[in-house]
Amino acid sequence: MKIKNRSWGDRIYVGFAYTVLVLLCASIIVPMLQVVTISMSPVEVINSYGFHLFPTKFDFSGYEQVFRKSIIWTAYGNTIIRTVLGTALTVMLTFMGAYPLSKKTLPHRPFWTALIVFTMFFSGGLIPSYMLIKNLGLMNSVWSLVLPGVVSVFLLLIVRNFISALPESLEESAKIDGAGEMYILWKIIMPLSMPILATVSLYSAVGHWNAWFDSMLYIQDEHKQVLQLILRRIVIDGTLDPAAGGGADLIDKPVNGESMKMATLVVSIVPIICVYPFLQKYFVKGTMLGSVKG
Amino acid sequence: MRKERWGHKWAGFAAAALLVGTLTACGGGKTSDSAGAAADPSKPVELDWLAYNSYAQPDPNSDIFKMVEKKFNAKFNVWYVDTQQWNDQVNVKFAAGEIPDVLQIREQIPKYVANGILADISEDDIRKYAPTYAKVIDEYDASLWNTVKYEGKIYALPSINLNGDYPQSLVWRKDWLDKVGITKIPETLEEFETALKKFRNEDPDGNGKKDTYGMSDHAIPFVLGAFGLPADNTNYVLKDGKIEFAAVQPEMKEALALLNKWYKEELIDPEFITGENTGGYWADSQAFYNNRIGLTGGGMFYHWRNKPIGEGDAGGGQYLNFKKAQPNGEIAFGVPPVGPNGQSGAPQWGVSSTPVGITPKAAEDPRKLQTILTMLEASFTDYDYYMTVFRGTEGVDWKKEGDTVVNIEDPNDDNASFKRGAQVFSMMENPEFGKKAFSGLYKFGDSVKTKGYPPVIAPAVDSLSQYSGNLGKLQKETYTKIIIGEQPVDSFDKFAKTFMDNGGSQVLKDVNEAYQKMVGE
Repeated sequence: MKIKNRSWGDRIYVGFAYTVLVLLCASIIVPMLQVVTISMSPVEVINSYGFHLFPTKFDFSGYEQVFRKSIIWTAYGNTIIRTVLGTALTVMLTFMGAYPLSKKTLPHRPFWTALIVFTMFFSGGLIPSYMLIKNLGLMNSVWSLVLPGVVSVFLLLIVRNFISALPESLEESAKIDGAGEMYILWKIIMPLSMPILATVSLYSAVGHWNAWFDSMLYIQDEHKQVLQLILRRIVIDGTLDPAAGGGADLIDKPVNGESMKMATLVVSIVPIICVYPFLQKYFVKGTMLGSVKG
Repeated sequence: MRKERWGHKWAGFAAAALLVGTLTACGGGKTSDSAGAAADPSKPVELDWLAYNSYAQPDPNSDIFKMVEKKFNAKFNVWYVDTQQWNDQVNVKFAAGEIPDVLQIREQIPKYVANGILADISEDDIRKYAPTYAKVIDEYDASLWNTVKYEGKIYALPSINLNGDYPQSLVWRKDWLDKVGITKIPETLEEFETALKKFRNEDPDGNGKKDTYGMSDHAIPFVLGAFGLPADNTNYVLKDGKIEFAAVQPEMKEALALLNKWYKEELIDPEFITGENTGGYWADSQAFYNNRIGLTGGGMFYHWRNKPIGEGDAGGGQYLNFKKAQPNGEIAFGVPPVGPNGQSGAPQWGVSSTPVGITPKAAEDPRKLQTILTMLEASFTDYDYYMTVFRGTEGVDWKKEGDTVVNIEDPNDDNASFKRGAQVFSMMENPEFGKKAFSGLYKFGDSVKTKGYPPVIAPAVDSLSQYSGNLGKLQKETYTKIIIGEQPVDSFDKFAKTFMDNGGSQVLKDVNEAYQKMVGE
């Protein structure tokens, strides 16, 4: 940028904007640095006063404690399975549900739409949901994590609006060329809906990655539980008084709870941080394209 | 899913609804079946088990399971509920009609009784099948039986937290005391004041700056204790057989006046408002570790233990943290200060721990209760059995080292012994055997044990849960403001009135009624 040629007003404006942005970045980066540093520092450093932005001494006992739980790798696997499976199903079913609803030729279309929108405002509540899952025989299986929220009405409506905004003439021309209904759906509509489907899959994937409550409720087997739940447990276990509950261990208690907590944080956010930059461009583009055309 | 349901697929919904009905019906039928089968005394008793700490999911094929099942002719269906989200999970299950036979009670007993989760247990049965257990409870604290009573009936088996028998510790910087020329550990409020003044003014850390204080927030309850009661939040105190709030007792006004004086003389670290623990484990005191204050408290003897027991052991966790920060520092265990009327004492958790109860489902079959009580009795009479069900197998999960038991850690899994079944069938700690196993540790604990104020055992009432948030906040705010001088000491009387008017009186009325009911008088 050629700041030279700009007027004083512009310069002040740009200077101001940069200052604000730098401060904003710092407010995000400083806590991150603190978390990462504490996660790899020995206890005497953590207990000393002041900021801990860069590690001065290294001690990876926090990570050791986190990874000593052999269950953590199983839990990582479970989270990946539910995220992939859940996202794939959500995208497919949302798309297949939204397409017919976007067609004006669908009989009783307002009725079907109203029926679906109705569920946005009412839910069965926690205990009926639990009984439903139990009586459907889904307890203790990955389906209990994937199926209950597989189609979100909100996302369905967004996709429906996106599809209705596609020009009808495209379909007509395909029909004239002899394309069947399925051909139109998969070869014409689907590729054109890619931006909105990317949005749906991102919403869904992040939701699945972070979810733990359903796993706590529906999964009894420790080996089928998801990562977030296990990590949550490690963090809380590390801060509990082992003796207050009556009889756990008095001698080998976690001495460096803080670094373990921070190590847990790092372990759980690093994968999403790695993935996010690659997905974010679709995210922004997808939402904008959808809203502009709808 | 909903989306593919076109007209004729409505049948799917109907089918699902039918299915729910059928399954519920089956569930109902099964209960009576199992009750019928259990009547045959040669068959193992089947128990749905939730009376343990569930740190990890135990393996039902482990040796401990087999041993216990054989010994008591029982078959266990151990539920796994994540211990951190216990109430969330268990409440949903109960509401959905899934109820175990025996469980740890982490809720208020009256609530469970009202919801039909707990069955009453006759005292005769307890004394007949578990006499040693009953005797230990009698000896430790007979009022523990009151904690599990509702309207005069016993609804659970009380349990003992051995560590709650030990008051919290008060810890001095020994090297600082030496430096300022105090050779005797302070015992009275006057001696405390002298020591704290020297800590403030005589540069005990020797860095040439006046940057040290006497104490911070952890030691305050000990000072309040010198006036008869360590008031905190909405804790109770018993006066003439009636329950009262400790926070509004007139003695506290004197205590606050003294603390206010100390604050003005800069003996109390001004940062006590945000606390001397600035992160990490709750018993840590960063102010103490960083040469800011010379007196701390709140942790237990095993946190601050400064004498090694057994080989390779260097002391308690907080002591080690302190030594890492101040390699040349020394600590000494103190005693709670004696006040103007000769009173003193440290805050104490109390020995009452999570009780174990049985459900109406289990009460249908008397063999179930008998089995549970026999199991409990075994862990109060048979030391080897106790060690196996509580700590695991010797040589695998723990070993004896000197006069203490040391856990054998699995390098790959720190929950390994729980998975092998340790702490599943013990139901509760046995204080006698616990002391025997860790004799070195408790010998140390006894050597530094001081006077304490155990909490008043009172029933929970709804009005307390409703008001305690606001009342606790009011107490903390007012106490802090009086100490730092933002409010005059005389405003205490106004505070006491506000406290009682904003729910305090209501709670006292309810709790005293419930207390009489609980005791059954």
